[in-house]
Amino acid sequence: MLFDLAWRNIWRQPHRTALSLTSIVLASAITVFVLSLQLGTYGTMKESVLKLMDGFAQAQPKGYSDDPDIRKAISDPQALMTRLEGMPAVTATAPRATTYVVLSNGPRSYGAAVFGVDPSKEAEVSTLHKTIVEGRYLREGDTDAAILGAALARNLKLSLGDKLIMLGAAEDGSVAADALTVVGLFATGAPEADRQVVEIPLTRFQTDFAIGKRANVIAIAGRHLSDIQSALPELRAAAHEKGLVVRNWAQLEPALNDVILLDASFSLLMYVSLVVIVVFIILNTLLMSVLERTREFGMLMAIGMRPAQIGRMIWIELLLLACIGVALGIALGSAITAWVARDGISFPSAEALFSRWHMPATIYPQLDAVSALAGPLAIGTAIIVAGIVPYLRVRSLCPVSAMRAS
Amino acid sequence: MTAIVECRGVTKHYRLGTIDVAALRGVDLTIDKGDFASLAGPSGSGKTTLLNAIGGLDRPTKGSIKIEGHEITALNANALADLRLRKIGFVFQAYNLIPVLSAVENVEFILQLMGVEAAARRARAKEVLRDVGLEGLENRRPARLSGGQQQRVAVARALASKPAIVLADEPTANLDTKTAEDLIALMSGLNDRLGTTFLMATHDARVISRTRRHIVISDGGITSDERRKLAEAEPA
Ligand SMILES: Nc1ncnc2c1ncn2[C@@H]1O[C@H](COP(=O)(O)OP(=O)(O)O)[C@@H](O)[C@H]1O
Ligand SMILES: [Mg+2]
Repeated sequence: MLFDLAWRNIWRQPHRTALSLTSIVLASAITVFVLSLQLGTYGTMKESVLKLMDGFAQAQPKGYSDDPDIRKAISDPQALMTRLEGMPAVTATAPRATTYVVLSNGPRSYGAAVFGVDPSKEAEVSTLHKTIVEGRYLREGDTDAAILGAALARNLKLSLGDKLIMLGAAEDGSVAADALTVVGLFATGAPEADRQVVEIPLTRFQTDFAIGKRANVIAIAGRHLSDIQSALPELRAAAHEKGLVVRNWAQLEPALNDVILLDASFSLLMYVSLVVIVVFIILNTLLMSVLERTREFGMLMAIGMRPAQIGRMIWIELLLLACIGVALGIALGSAITAWVARDGISFPSAEALFSRWHMPATIYPQLDAVSALAGPLAIGTAIIVAGIVPYLRVRSLCPVSAMRAS
Repeated sequence: MTAIVECRGVTKHYRLGTIDVAALRGVDLTIDKGDFASLAGPSGSGKTTLLNAIGGLDRPTKGSIKIEGHEITALNANALADLRLRKIGFVFQAYNLIPVLSAVENVEFILQLMGVEAAARRARAKEVLRDVGLEGLENRRPARLSGGQQQRVAVARALASKPAIVLADEPTANLDTKTAEDLIALMSGLNDRLGTTFLMATHDARVISRTRRHIVISDGGITSDERRKLAEAEPA
């Protein structure tokens, strides 16, 4: 009964209702689109950074991340890799061994991180092979081949085909030395990688540093980061059996995680202001209509309606407005977002900035339950909660003075 | 005779800033079952104040008011709302109806508030609309009814709950002479046929002449209260 009456009441002033609805719809749609774009950007940032080398997660020996010592190693990487690759969320895994070395070419020497990788497995986990600017990536059957960052090669005055001397410490403390041939140069756009990384075949690494069949980490890839995130408990359980730990993306790239959290908290401020503005507009409109109908409320009380019932009716009017507006807003926002997501939005001018995070210049909004619902539901809830104001105002009306209102 | 309304020593003071306005100064009044009474008096004499106090819309400053023997001055807001819903029918000068509801829905509305089940509600609403001569106009909204028809809907709604008394506050003030006479004739007929008790505040001499009991209020006090045989309706 109150519902029916409230429904009819909101259409008494169709223009006013249309205006209120429009503001709810637009604000809701904006939050859907902007949040989707934001989540899409974060997703692209994370995936681009992680796909370059890290993988979406890694299995590591305990304490390895605090002190990446070559002696903290996985004794039988193949067994765990087979186990992990059997999980539906995991598309590929790749073993890696790492240590720090000095690279030299004649009189020039530079410190670098050397990675021993399995060329075919590595290409499924890391996009580094796509950033080769000269020569080629490592391949199956390579023996003394090495690829390195273009900046590092420039510093060492190395070109394709040149010999590269690598000096380091083997696991047993003895000197590890090798002469390698430069077969490829990569340029990722990330200065650390381009200046400090060299990759060689894992078998060569294992021989040079006398680590047998062992590796230091296993990088794990999935179709989407979210797949791996939700499979973390499974991954952890499998790693735990081998005495290993699994590090998730935020642990692998803490700086990126901080950037995202900072950005998200700034945008939260924007969303909150948007919600406050919309609530203010709607509440103001409703209070105006309450004021105009004071005499009618007096009549309703005279014929036996309780003040709380009238308050409830007003609150239902707000509830209906909020529900319709939020539903339309979700529909409109999702439609616009889905339409934009087909081709993505390109930011040609931001390419330089994006490449810092190895990001493409085209961003695809990510429309999911969170981005489609969070903003509109916050708006709807805020409006409905704010409805306590007109509710209390109507409840405190006294019939005689209400009827004397002009 | 059974007393429907009993007022004893009812006073009402309004505070206007620092000024104290005495709207009622010790009213003693009994309305009996089946009364068809007018409450006459100049503007500002306290008619509306007295009607509101009897109908439980407002509380008197002092005194006792009983409806069908039950004291109402001590009731809380919800109990007063229930009293108005079940025991009192109000008809005002204007703005009587809910604009978004049709005639029949306006009548049904209070039955709904009372918790009457749908079929019985609809039947009762149609019945009272027929009683006030609005058959065929049930589905019109107030905006599409004339002033006289709107007042008839208000009377129908006041009757729907079979209240102890119908309180009408200048019900004809916004109507032209002919329509006003029709409305008062209607209420008089309802009083005859159904025995409904009416108390009407008015300063319209033609309305007063159609009532059987003439109560006069002046400056917040009852100054005369006479019962008369109803004069024959003059031919229009
Ligand atoms: N809510 C109120 N506040 C202050 N004064 C009021 C109020 N209601 C009525 N009065 C005063 O009480 C007196 C009686 O008013 P009322 O009962 O409305 O008279 P009537 O209906 O006979 O014209 C008048 O002087 C009026 O100004
Ligand atoms: Mg009056």
